[in-house]
Amino acid sequence: MFVALLVVAALAAPMIAPADPIRQSLRGRLSAPTLSGADGRAHLLGTDHLGRDVLSRVIYGARVSLLVGFAAVIVGGLVGATLGLVAGFRGGWTDSMIMTLADAQLAFPFILLAIGIIAVLGPSFPTLIVVIGLSGWVTYARVLRSQVLVLRSREFVDAIHALGGSVARVITRHVLPNVLSSLVVIATLELARAIVLEATLSFLGLGVQPPTPSWGGMVHEGREYLDSAWWISTAPGIVLMLTSIVVSRTGDWLRDLLDPTLRGE
Amino acid sequence: MPMRGLLPFLASRLIRAAIALWLVSTVVFVVMRLSGDPVPLLLPPDAPQSEFARVRAELGLDRPLPVQYVVFLGNVLRGDFGQSIHFRQSAFRVVLGYLPATFELGLAAFALALLVALPIGVVSAVKRNSAVDQATMALALVGQSAPTFFIGILLILIVSLNLGLLPTSGREGWHSLILPALTLGAFAMASIARLTRSSVLEVLRADYIRTARAKGVSDVVVVAKHTLKNAAVPIVTITGLQFGTLLGGAVVTETVFAWPGIGRLAIQSIYNRDYPVVQCTVFISAVLFIVINFCVDLLYGLLDPRVRSS
Amino acid sequence: MTEMTRRDVLKIAAAGAAAALPGLTHSAQAQTTQKRELVVAQGGDIANLDPHLSTSSNDIRISFNIFDNLTSRRPDGKLAPGLATEWKLQGQTAWVFKLRSGVKWHNGDPFTSADVKFSIDRSLDTNLRGNRVNTVLTTVERVETPDPGTAVVHTKKPDPLLPARLGFYGGQIIPKKYVESAGGETFNQKPVGTGPVRFVSWTKDDKIVLEANPDYWGGRVDFDRLTVRALPEMAPRVAALLKGEVDLITQVPPDQGERVKSNPTTTVIGALYGGLYVLAVNSKRPPLDNPLVKQALSLAIDRESIVKELWRGRGVVPNSMIAKGDNHFDASLPPLAFNAGEAKAQLKKAGYKGEEIIIETTAGYLAGDKPMSEAIQAMWRDVGVNSKVEVVEYSVRAQKIREKSFKGLWWSDPTSTLRDPDGMMWRLLGPGGPQDYWRHPEFDELGNAARFSVDEKFRADAYKKMTQLFLEYLPWLPVIQPYEDYGLQKHVEWTPDPLQQLEIRRFNFKFRRA
Repeated sequence: MFVALLVVAALAAPMIAPADPIRQSLRGRLSAPTLSGADGRAHLLGTDHLGRDVLSRVIYGARVSLLVGFAAVIVGGLVGATLGLVAGFRGGWTDSMIMTLADAQLAFPFILLAIGIIAVLGPSFPTLIVVIGLSGWVTYARVLRSQVLVLRSREFVDAIHALGGSVARVITRHVLPNVLSSLVVIATLELARAIVLEATLSFLGLGVQPPTPSWGGMVHEGREYLDSAWWISTAPGIVLMLTSIVVSRTGDWLRDLLDPTLRGE
Repeated sequence: MPMRGLLPFLASRLIRAAIALWLVSTVVFVVMRLSGDPVPLLLPPDAPQSEFARVRAELGLDRPLPVQYVVFLGNVLRGDFGQSIHFRQSAFRVVLGYLPATFELGLAAFALALLVALPIGVVSAVKRNSAVDQATMALALVGQSAPTFFIGILLILIVSLNLGLLPTSGREGWHSLILPALTLGAFAMASIARLTRSSVLEVLRADYIRTARAKGVSDVVVVAKHTLKNAAVPIVTITGLQFGTLLGGAVVTETVFAWPGIGRLAIQSIYNRDYPVVQCTVFISAVLFIVINFCVDLLYGLLDPRVRSS
Repeated sequence: MTEMTRRDVLKIAAAGAAAALPGLTHSAQAQTTQKRELVVAQGGDIANLDPHLSTSSNDIRISFNIFDNLTSRRPDGKLAPGLATEWKLQGQTAWVFKLRSGVKWHNGDPFTSADVKFSIDRSLDTNLRGNRVNTVLTTVERVETPDPGTAVVHTKKPDPLLPARLGFYGGQIIPKKYVESAGGETFNQKPVGTGPVRFVSWTKDDKIVLEANPDYWGGRVDFDRLTVRALPEMAPRVAALLKGEVDLITQVPPDQGERVKSNPTTTVIGALYGGLYVLAVNSKRPPLDNPLVKQALSLAIDRESIVKELWRGRGVVPNSMIAKGDNHFDASLPPLAFNAGEAKAQLKKAGYKGEEIIIETTAGYLAGDKPMSEAIQAMWRDVGVNSKVEVVEYSVRAQKIREKSFKGLWWSDPTSTLRDPDGMMWRLLGPGGPQDYWRHPEFDELGNAARFSVDEKFRADAYKKMTQLFLEYLPWLPVIQPYEDYGLQKHVEWTPDPLQQLEIRRFNFKFRRA
């Protein structure tokens, strides 16, 4: 429900938002939540340090979070799935190499790598998507690889090879159906992680460029005003927290529903 | 695991760890070199070209990249991470100077997590579906999914600014440690509480507990005696795993609370383009991660006979 | 513990004594103090104590109190005697300085003209590793010391500003004998000067402790110890002041000033900064090569609002490239105008077709840089300028300054340590300077002539003409001349300088005593 609401909010932001999220009013800056601000408008969640409507910015912020979140999940999923399949099918050296890469990545404090890469490429939507996406490929790769290994141990693949079946066919007919539910579960959990990671990077000042609103960036901007204008940080922060809770709960629920074997991992 | 299986197992783990470390070092090296030049930060903007050349040579940045890379790897093998560009002393010593603050924070976070989560988990299980149970489990949910930085901001807002109880940041005395430790430990605390609860529930359902209860032994004693022992395995695992990802969380927590640890040092050093310090920080935290994971695996084997035999 | 230590006994005795003292109410303590220690918190740690190795404000706040200069720039902007009691120009290029007699270094050695020669020579020494001030005194040809109480500084060309140059960094006088015998490394860790405080200890990333110099020639300062702590984050710095843990803090942002002022025991004191915050322009990049476009951009900035709202009135709107309080500032010029209608007309006249104009801002390198960028972006959008704000790290900014590779505009805080247009705009905008993106033959000729003239009337005329050219071509868009605000306990009386050196001397500091 909440997720659907968010998606709608993100898509229909121009219609729902009470104000233009980047419209400023220096005279009406740091206004507390009010029905009639200095500019004669209602600011249900107050205004920020440039006099922009916080509610509108939170609504528009959903766009950034969801766009980066979904895109990152797709990137991570594609890369992870490909590497997992390659590792599983090729086995041997390729397999060890890919799995060592996964080890290395897990040993790396990822946030530092992200900061480094963003320092090289400069902060932008594509950079964020790639960086966040790549941070999550390992889980997909592991699931797909182990599924392929299971099939191989059943000598399925060899048999199909012998019969002249293509690898693509094996993947679509035998691998994917078996792991689809796991993938859906992982993707949902990854979505929650990606949204939080984007917010964290924005909070560190490495997110999308101003004046585009993003939740993490808003929390960051409001930090200086925590004691005088608490609404700037807390409004986007609470929405972000709810989103993260709901999405990851959905993931847990899907897991219990679709894939009891993953339970308790 | 039988003894003769142990050595090859250890050897393969070691090799994989070494390769992972090499990969990590290489990636940091490449990313940092691509990210920009530290020299303009060191000199006034109107310094002559000759001055730039001199400083670049002083830092060894005038040599071709492959040469720098080979020198770097050679030095790392000897445990030498070079001179910090910003601090003008050995990068390793710089990192060592900041490490205690991070350890202090990490240990406090986990002590706090265990201290709070274990009793809560047990109580929730014993008083299943009570108001206490539901409230703590809801809170645990928040702890598990809320972004670290926002937990920190909320704690500052409520505890420091509104209630005026604890300092907003810095590292002076035990009272400045509480909020950062809570923030860093929130995720682990929530996970451990939930895990403890479900393990204890499982044990409570077991026959021998019912017998004990029937004999009239009090709840607390029963739980203490029998359940925690059995629930220990998953708790150790998750604790270890969480400890391994400490630095990632520390980067954010230390930034929010201006805690002078290696997480903040790492970020500052990236901004200062202080290559040696970044390389050293990442290397040390990767080693810690690998060692801790390995210990967790061993501990797991020791605690759970089923794992050992299979 | 079973045995009580001697110290514990003393502590208890002291506590008893304090409890027995009647009439020391809290409110009385708030306004006056018996403190013998002044605690200062600044925004960063010290990197170097050797004054030749640094121009960073965190360092000079310390070194300007350990060391003296020949001349001393007072908070009112005037040049006062320092280690030199008087100076005069002999002919065109020789400045003669009479030195103060009887001055001793902190280690007891006597101060002589040999120290002056040594200091100036060392400041110019490009072989000194890490020397950051070697460009400050480049007009100096040589220093002569006819006797221990006289130093003669010969300049290569006439240099009217030499006494002013010697009053800021690069001009600090260091002890020849101590530096030569102890070595540069030791000097940097344990400096010896002639200033009002002596070095005691330094804990990296934490604090530096200094003690009053009882024999200071300018009079002993009214405290025993001066402790300077590093508190990099603004919130804890303000909190430490409000809680009374520190007596004085640097860099109070305007939005926090109200809080500090409304607290009964603390207040804010500011000095109009001796420089401007400007958007420097890469005038080589179209459409910024068109002066009409730059005029339109300038006209579209509502500086009044920025000063009044974003800065809560803690600043003034500039009227040119010369800061208020600097030599040759022309008070008769009106503040830079805001006129959206005219801006639109200018854009039309310039044939502006919506080309992207990029502000590359840092986030917090200059106070308020990012919010100001966003505010200006919105103002430009209102007149139809397609602009974009890109946030860059300060290291990227440094690299772009070096490579002269800015895409459009960026923040700069041109300051003259000499309080003169030469050291400020001509240093940056002159040919070959760090912000050389625009050239105009007449501007260049005037700037060069003014640099080497000792005739103040001629210089005044030159800067007047240069101002006209500046306002037409706008190599900078000046935005604000802010106040540099400090927070302090009400029991501290202190006058800050327009630059950032935080001098603490008898003429500008005292504790309010009961």
